[in-house]
Amino acid sequence: MRENHSKIFSIIMYLMIFILVFPLFILIIWSFAKSWPWPDLFPKEFGLRGIKYFLDPTSKSLSALLCSVFLSMTVTVITLIITIPAAKALALYEFKGKKIVEFLILAPLIVSPVAVAMGIHLSFIRLGLANTFIGVVLVHLLPCIPYSVRILKNVFEVTGEAMEMQARVLGASPFQTFINVTLPIITPGLVSAGSLVFIVSFSQYFLTFLIGGGRIVTFPMHMFPFVQSGDRMMASVYSVVFIITTLICLQIIEKLVKRYYKSGNYFFIN
Amino acid sequence: MTQIVLKNISKSFGNKKVLDDINVVIGEGEIVSLLGPSGCGKTTTLKLIAGLLKPDSGDILFGNSSILNIPVEKRGAVIVFQDYLLFPHLNVAQNVEFGLKMAKVDKAKRQEQVKRMLHLVQLDGYEKKYPDELSGGQKQRVAIARALAIEPKVLLLDEPFSNLDMRLRESMRDFIIQIQRKLKITTILVTHDKEEALMTSDKIAVMLDGKIRQFGTPAELYQRPVSPEVANFFGEKNYIRGHIKDGMFVSDLGIVITKYNEQSSVMAMIRPEDIELIEPSNDDGIIGIVKTVKYAGDRIYYTVMANNVELKCLSGTRKMFNIGDRVQVNIDFDNAVFFKDVW
Repeated sequence: MRENHSKIFSIIMYLMIFILVFPLFILIIWSFAKSWPWPDLFPKEFGLRGIKYFLDPTSKSLSALLCSVFLSMTVTVITLIITIPAAKALALYEFKGKKIVEFLILAPLIVSPVAVAMGIHLSFIRLGLANTFIGVVLVHLLPCIPYSVRILKNVFEVTGEAMEMQARVLGASPFQTFINVTLPIITPGLVSAGSLVFIVSFSQYFLTFLIGGGRIVTFPMHMFPFVQSGDRMMASVYSVVFIITTLICLQIIEKLVKRYYKSGNYFFIN
Repeated sequence: MTQIVLKNISKSFGNKKVLDDINVVIGEGEIVSLLGPSGCGKTTTLKLIAGLLKPDSGDILFGNSSILNIPVEKRGAVIVFQDYLLFPHLNVAQNVEFGLKMAKVDKAKRQEQVKRMLHLVQLDGYEKKYPDELSGGQKQRVAIARALAIEPKVLLLDEPFSNLDMRLRESMRDFIIQIQRKLKITTILVTHDKEEALMTSDKIAVMLDGKIRQFGTPAELYQRPVSPEVANFFGEKNYIRGHIKDGMFVSDLGIVITKYNEQSSVMAMIRPEDIELIEPSNDDGIIGIVKTVKYAGDRIYYTVMANNVELKCLSGTRKMFNIGDRVQVNIDFDNAVFFKDVW
């Protein structure tokens, strides 16, 4: 019986994995397909036009990719720095208007940032932040903060304050406590929040476009015209690069954090 | 070695008064228990002493000086919490040296101290283990070593044994007391277990609803409780209503001579172990009927109905009675405690 169950279970599991992974193969095939008319099961001709264009320095795709990675990493770091205290306060402290503050912080999840971006654009023009890197970083924080706050708030709710109190009575100052106890304990949460924030920031198109005003050219801005114009080969190449870059960056984030707490024993299980 | 003085300490959370005018003096090197049910303010008291909370009013002195303005990390009052709270990302040695590292003690000294502490708690050779590889008792000992490593002025134990199983609890209790006696460190133990309090402490403070009801040595509290509430902490008791007249206590159970002379209504508290049950032999004694029998191995709990009063009795296993037996009840009124006007 049990054997049977596990067989059914693994069939379902592999089916789900297949459903998730299969489109990626299509993307990879598409990026080498010179022509693939309906109803052929496989492309008629293969070609390297997409890869060549992407790697060609005159297309500036690589520099856009680097710019995007740098931008999203910056946004990730800033978001985490801002949201750690915010999430802790929301999870552990009682204060007046807590519900309203929480709602406002999470509001960008409900109200699309695009809706407020127009107003922000005007303000940024006045402040001289439009068409600048800093401006784009700031506007990316808008959709990123709610995700990070949500994840870290749950983490703080689980870990609580007890460990920090213990550190304090053992003679650690508030800052020492934060560095030596709080950060290591919430590390798994930081990795997941950081990964999600990176992806959210990395896939922003409209906000970057509006606030960057074409001066800050990120990877999605190269990619979108191809998707829109229906150049499937190019769109597929860019999508594959997009996915690979994200995976590599997430790996780097996790490896860096893990190496920092090299014991590998940082998972907090209560 | 520090004397701790709590002076008129009050503390409220919102509208709820958690501590109400607490006054206690804990002598140098003493071990004092705060005994009370959960929610009576015991742990709050510890947190106030450690500095994790601030009192609304009153003062806390270590020796002769107030410590209210000293931040937590400089007070030298370490709490060992109920669930040990070992840092999961650090190994045993790193946990123990945590306090010293924070105080920027140099490395050679730290290592020496870690070694000494682990030897003290009999965990030599466990330096490289992580908390999740340790048993409950071992975690507890690491937590104690970590607390003692910084040579605190005051050790505060917050229900340190309640997560351990019975046998381990007893040995850890003896172990900690041994260490406490050796280091002569002023210690406050929070507990809801009367036996733990009686067996470990130099003095006990019984707390109820944010007030200290009685403060004294274990024998004082057990033998001369100031109120039925305090008495109830140390096990079930019999209460017999009556009144004192001309040095005699008059109740349903007859008339006995007492040391008291005042004329008043009183309640006599009689401990179960002060009531002896024997075979009915003469007609003078109080005769009762056994209502329930609870056998506990080394002793037996009875309830006996005598003269319309239900009495709880505790006796050895030498003579056993069954439900419905007629027994003679000999009450030792010399050990009775009389409470005036409690109803």
